[in-house]
Amino acid sequence: MADHAATHAAHDPNMGITGIDHRKMGMWAFLGSDCMFFGALIGTYLSYKGKSLGGPTPHEIFNIPLTSISAFVLLMSSVWMVLALNYLRLNNMRWAKFWILMTALFGAWFVGNQVYEFNQFVDEGLTLQTSLFGSSFFTLTGFHGAHVTGGVIWLLSLWVLANMGKLGPQDYLKVEIAGLYWHFVDIVWIAIFTLVYLIP
Amino acid sequence: MAELHATADTHAGGEGAHGTVATYVRIAVVLTVLTAIEVATLYTPGIPHAVLVISLLAMSLVKFALVVGFYMHLRYDSPILRALFVGPLLIAIAIILALMALFSAFILLPRP
Repeated sequence: MADHAATHAAHDPNMGITGIDHRKMGMWAFLGSDCMFFGALIGTYLSYKGKSLGGPTPHEIFNIPLTSISAFVLLMSSVWMVLALNYLRLNNMRWAKFWILMTALFGAWFVGNQVYEFNQFVDEGLTLQTSLFGSSFFTLTGFHGAHVTGGVIWLLSLWVLANMGKLGPQDYLKVEIAGLYWHFVDIVWIAIFTLVYLIP
Repeated sequence: MAELHATADTHAGGEGAHGTVATYVRIAVVLTVLTAIEVATLYTPGIPHAVLVISLLAMSLVKFALVVGFYMHLRYDSPILRALFVGPLLIAIAIILALMALFSAFILLPRP
């Protein structure tokens, strides 16, 4: 096993002795650390829940139908991402590019909804400085929104590279790593949607 | 050794290392239905608080596991990658529970 892995590593500088590409392992390690980052933010939000001295309260201000649409949009973007990877694996660049673009557009839709939601909240008197609810809510969802925005930029970059002919089926791993990041922001939203928005 | 072959298969784009489009679509349907049920549960009157919270958490957990297992391919990938993700995830859950205990924040039980 060690000989086989060493031979593999000698041929590909990105391949470690475990037989796993360093870039992929690095992304999983990053996602693990990001789990703890969001764990701290979610824990803080839940700890402060119901302890604000003034309003508005979550119950008064949340727009559940809008947030449900956002949750659906992000879930669907994850589906588009696996379809993009699937077509890339099948050497079908036309559909791979289409689904990468769709993933990015749905991500942008999610961010647009969040910007609208934040503006509504500010108009109704909830800001970062208003209360414990305001500070913990905007910090948690704001960092998640920043992650989504980063993912959209990443996906659009891949789409542009693919259109320039600089990204092809041989770059499967690059797209797979972007996909891992994208699915991660989706699962973080699954947790936020339930813990922050749905649980009364 | 088998692990190395599985990884090599993944890089070569082997069919065994991936789900099919049909699988992805089926999971998408399940995710959509679960999201709809989650939202509907919130608007259903008369559900006891503890039951509501537990059912919402359970549905969220199923969605989380489906995306990680199938869309992130962790179900098909190396156990090393599984450990790299699940370990920190358990620490994150411990952080959430520890913070809630520190601040006496209960979402399942009524306050005394």
